[in-house]
Amino acid sequence: MTDPMRSRRRSRWLPRAGQTAAIVVALFWSLAPVYWMLATSFKTELEATRLEPTLWPLHPTVANYTELAGKSLPFLAFFLNSVVSCLLTAVIALAIATPAAYALSRGRFLLRGPVSYGILIFRMLPLVVMLAPLYLLLMTAHLLDSTAGLVVGFTTFGLPFAVWMMKSFIDAVPTEIEEAARIDGCGRLQILLKVVLPLVLPGLLTTATFVFMEAWNNLIYPLTFMTSLSKQTLPAALVLSFTGQFKTDWGGMMAASVLTTLPLMVAFFAVQRSIVRGLVAGALAGA
Amino acid sequence: MPSLSPRPGRMPWLDPFVLPTVAVLGVVIGYPVVYTLVLSAQKFNLLDTSPARFIGGANYMHLTVDPIFWSSLVNTAIYTFGSVAISAAIGLALALLTENLFGWRFRAVRALLLMPWAVPFVVVAFLFRYMYLQDGGVINAVLLRLGLIAHPVLWLNNATLALPATMVANIWTMVPFFFLLLSAALAAVPGEVIEAASIDRAGTFSMIIYIKLPFLKNALLVSSLLMVISNVNDFAKIWAMTEGGPGYSTTTLVVYVYRLAFEDFNFGYASAIGVVWLVLLLGFAWLYLRRLRIP
Repeated sequence: MTDPMRSRRRSRWLPRAGQTAAIVVALFWSLAPVYWMLATSFKTELEATRLEPTLWPLHPTVANYTELAGKSLPFLAFFLNSVVSCLLTAVIALAIATPAAYALSRGRFLLRGPVSYGILIFRMLPLVVMLAPLYLLLMTAHLLDSTAGLVVGFTTFGLPFAVWMMKSFIDAVPTEIEEAARIDGCGRLQILLKVVLPLVLPGLLTTATFVFMEAWNNLIYPLTFMTSLSKQTLPAALVLSFTGQFKTDWGGMMAASVLTTLPLMVAFFAVQRSIVRGLVAGALAGA
Repeated sequence: MPSLSPRPGRMPWLDPFVLPTVAVLGVVIGYPVVYTLVLSAQKFNLLDTSPARFIGGANYMHLTVDPIFWSSLVNTAIYTFGSVAISAAIGLALALLTENLFGWRFRAVRALLLMPWAVPFVVVAFLFRYMYLQDGGVINAVLLRLGLIAHPVLWLNNATLALPATMVANIWTMVPFFFLLLSAALAAVPGEVIEAASIDRAGTFSMIIYIKLPFLKNALLVSSLLMVISNVNDFAKIWAMTEGGPGYSTTTLVVYVYRLAFEDFNFGYASAIGVVWLVLLLGFAWLYLRRLRIP
């Protein structure tokens, strides 16, 4: 008898050939658009809009990429704006959320229930509800058109998420180790930093990646809060440039898209294994 | 021995560790939400020189007779629940399909199936917009070549087809999430249960429907709730693909509120819609969580 995982997986509901065919179809569905983006980014403007699309670039060119740096639009600046604002959001959200998650996981205080529920409800708030007042708040604080203002916007969804996710990771750490550290005379902050944090480091990285990804994906806040083009993030710049530079230049558009996708791909696959664990912890813990 | 928890009688109200979170969320979420309630009872236009004035429930009255509000409510419901239901079904099918793979095969297939997840929403939107093109779009070209259509279809410029077309792009990005979570939940089904059912000669489909699905119920509910929330907030994909058009055929509530607030600068009315939306969503989340009995 092998281990239960293996024997369970032997149960088969499709003949092998049918299963393989279905998996091939599924892989095609998920990969074909990504391939199309890559292939188009190496095509000339003319070839990208040919009536009969070519499966493979006839005259592969990297011009679309080199033009991103040289053309009128500062794509390198957009890229840096996105990286800076999303990284800042992830770091700030995690720095504030981790102690809170620890307190909600371990602490005993009267408002623990209301605070946990409050954060969960904040997480579910539709962004549109906050759009107008947040805009006015940032306007009063003179934070419109600034990275700081953008980070405030991203924090509205990043922080509640980070608290819940980190809480589920900390919940999984046994308390005995902390008891031992406490007997050795460590304070709470010391226990959190020196005992708990090293144990939840994969969870911390997963949570940070998710916050980063969600901020990277966000379009509505940069589009509304940023007024000067040079301070825009990549997604907003793509939308704004589409009405101008990229109207017919799909090769250039796809090259810019590849550039926008790359950091997310790298981040995603770097933590893919902990994402699996983290999501299961985060989403199934309550179930 | 000092214990981690002080005696219940001396429990403090708050833990200093949660104070930064509470303070930040109070400013960036609590205050805006309260402010929305205030704004929703005002005639407030950012471009108006006259100051905001209190008009009571007039914004809410206007809302009941605003056809665009109702059509965007319906569009939001179709877009959200349609995409989530179909993605969940595809994700479940993929999880069951790859269930008996293991080792490097499983890891490779999983990594490739997860790929769409790592593509930013705006990129997904433009990628599908490009593939949907009337002339030179790969989807029309393939369908023409296969003889399935006689003429190129205007996917995103047709009031009937635009919403389903945006949903396809949306489903493409969402399937990996369901696939991943349901795969994990499937692997957590106790082996003995499956053994017992196969000894009882349960057929493939009764095995899935009566044995596995009940175990996946909670995972399905939680992941659908998360995705419903994220879809209701989805601005990037729709805006970058259609800007809510043609006409108002793909205008969801987010898109409508954005237009009201940042094209007409009608903050008062936009806030009233925000409040209605808030009530609807919280009601939905409450029903959902109560069903789940999350502690």
